[in-house]
Amino acid sequence: MRYVIFFSSVLCVACATHKSETRVWQSIEQSLQTQLITIQDGDTLFMPEGNFMFTKSLAMEGKSNITIRGKGIDKTILSFKNQIEGAQGLLVSNGRNITLEDFSIEDAKGDNLKVSEVVGITLKRIRSVWADGPKTENGAYALYPVLCKHVLIDECIAMGSSDAGIYVGQSDSVIIRNSKAYWNVAGIESENSRWVEIYGNEAYENTGGILIFDLPGLTQYGHTTKVYNNNIHNNNHDNFAMKGNIVASIPPGTGVMILATHNLELTGNDIIDNKTVGTGIISYELVAALNEGEVEQEASIGGVQTVANNFRADSLYNPFPYGIYIHNNNYQNSKWFPALSHDIGKLFFMKSFMNPPDIVYDGIPDPNRPDRQICVQQGDEVIVINLDAANDFENLKKGARQFNCEGVKISLR
Amino acid sequence: MRRISLLVFVSVLLSCESRKQEIVVLSEVESAIDLSHIGKTKLSEYGFFVGELKTLTPAAGVVAYTLNSALFSDYALKKRFVKIPEGKAVTYAADDVFDFPEGTILIKNFYYPADFNKPEYNIRILETRLLINEAGVWKALPYIWNEEQTEAYLSVAGKTIPVSWTNTDGQQRNINYSVPNMNQCKGCHLRGDNVMPIGPGARQLNGDLEFSAGKQNQLVYWQTHGLLQGLPSIDAIDKLASYEDASIPINDRARAWLEINCAHCHRADGPAKNSGLYLLASETNPARLGIGKAPVAAGKGSGGLLYGIVPGNPDASILQYRIESIHPGVMMPELGRSITHTEGVALVRQWIEGLK
Repeated sequence: MRYVIFFSSVLCVACATHKSETRVWQSIEQSLQTQLITIQDGDTLFMPEGNFMFTKSLAMEGKSNITIRGKGIDKTILSFKNQIEGAQGLLVSNGRNITLEDFSIEDAKGDNLKVSEVVGITLKRIRSVWADGPKTENGAYALYPVLCKHVLIDECIAMGSSDAGIYVGQSDSVIIRNSKAYWNVAGIESENSRWVEIYGNEAYENTGGILIFDLPGLTQYGHTTKVYNNNIHNNNHDNFAMKGNIVASIPPGTGVMILATHNLELTGNDIIDNKTVGTGIISYELVAALNEGEVEQEASIGGVQTVANNFRADSLYNPFPYGIYIHNNNYQNSKWFPALSHDIGKLFFMKSFMNPPDIVYDGIPDPNRPDRQICVQQGDEVIVINLDAANDFENLKKGARQFNCEGVKISLR
Repeated sequence: MRRISLLVFVSVLLSCESRKQEIVVLSEVESAIDLSHIGKTKLSEYGFFVGELKTLTPAAGVVAYTLNSALFSDYALKKRFVKIPEGKAVTYAADDVFDFPEGTILIKNFYYPADFNKPEYNIRILETRLLINEAGVWKALPYIWNEEQTEAYLSVAGKTIPVSWTNTDGQQRNINYSVPNMNQCKGCHLRGDNVMPIGPGARQLNGDLEFSAGKQNQLVYWQTHGLLQGLPSIDAIDKLASYEDASIPINDRARAWLEINCAHCHRADGPAKNSGLYLLASETNPARLGIGKAPVAAGKGSGGLLYGIVPGNPDASILQYRIESIHPGVMMPELGRSITHTEGVALVRQWIEGLK
């Protein structure tokens, strides 16, 4: 069974007194939403070519074996610029084997495309952007599968997100490949997800290029991630995230950030001209400490000493990264100065003058796991720093070969 | 087949003066879609009411009920009924919504009086939402009333209806009331993979209602009329506070407000479980409640604030910020309101101020 949405022009109003280009939009809001509700399992919904404006979230729920296909990434445009209701542009939830392909989503008030609790979700050639470029008022995530299994994101484009462009959270068996993320705070972020492969992507001109995070207090914890053959360059954009979100603490100029996760391989990537740090390996302890510093500055907030303890109260959560294998990447940095707007940038400016580090490890010891199984095989040219952050950087150590790989065994199964 | 009436969006012009691009939206063409496989197309076909439909006079076997604390829906008033198949009964459960027998229908009518000082007069019913238990699976169907108030029609795609009323303080209020589309129904009613009722459980029904024979506890009434089995002594039953009852401690009222307005999603098996914020009145873990909890995926919903709840400081609390907001990308709940519940958010504010 095939669905086609028809439309026709009725009326065109133009403003006579100025020269700017007039973009004409159609409304297919009521009919498209009705299709998304009445579509039968196994159907394909064909969206026509054109610019389509929506005032409310679109939602599809509880469907199986559905394809929603546009006429092309530049041909079928769904815009939520006039949105007055709903926190997402398009929300797909509680389904199986859903494919979305060949269209664009723009300017939702919250997330552009959220996919929640779907087993089998493919996003192919979807362009998801905030058309006016990076702004704090933009929605958090351009492409946002969460609580999903079997996720494929392929040949997509994400731009302008005030949090992460391509963000996969609390999901299993994930592939993010051949996609582009730029002008977001985080380009690509995998959070509390398991069995993730990120390859063949270009992440550039974000605040941070690719982030692999594990956070406390959620439905599941992440591990087993392979990040390879990506081009991660010039991620030096100002951080425009709304304060309070974890990505607001990312220093501009971050290539790859590995936070509190384990069993990760980083290989074959070009990590180039990310001015503050090529790759950071840090624990949630450091994030909490930085957060506390911020809180101390805000004397008006009371009762927050519990904050740092919250993650410690989560007995299932391990705040320390381990099992990290970094090898055969191409690290280059022609920048002399890290982001001096950020405390971490200032630190690197002082401790590695005119030579921002390629790889940084916070060095905070895990009392339960003295051997952290961190292995770096990048030759003698890279600048590697162990911060000794637990002791106020007292025993900060520089040296390309300080992470011995002998005896390191990391399972990526 | 029924023709779906369409929102006509003639044109929206943005900023002729500025350098910004101009947006022109053309109207949508009508299309006809057959909905008969989804449910009955007219509310009257169910036979829930006798006499004039708009009087909502229940037919035999249709029983009115009320909740101790109700979800805020832009100040709409609600008349609720349940129809349990003859000869069947609900089995009592202490904590959760009741497990209603197959064939049960929950009927919720949303209406506004012209003047809230005279809530029984000059009533305009906007929509009737049905939850129908078919073979153990609940389905949610919205019916939209016509202007003549003679019939309500099944609508899958929802509708925006301008409404105005006079407030109890004499002020005129105007809103665009939003009837949810069928997916949005599930947005609130989904528990795991299944649609579930939200309100009618023992804690919510444990209160008095005016029946034809006089005022009576609803649970007792249900039991004496054969609708409920296994009811323990009424003193042994937990009761969800009425957040509107000023004689009850503020903690109980605020937690009741948070439960009915937030916890259908913010619970361990609800659609917002990914946030790690759980707001059932029974939640005792401070971090799960949001106290000192950093946001997970809030984006600009954080409002630049660091924690869900900062005890003693509602203005530093993301939860307070989001329940007060009417920005679609910030506001909580995400659906079901276009304005702020002034009394409700004041209650939560008072509660956070008193937290230590």
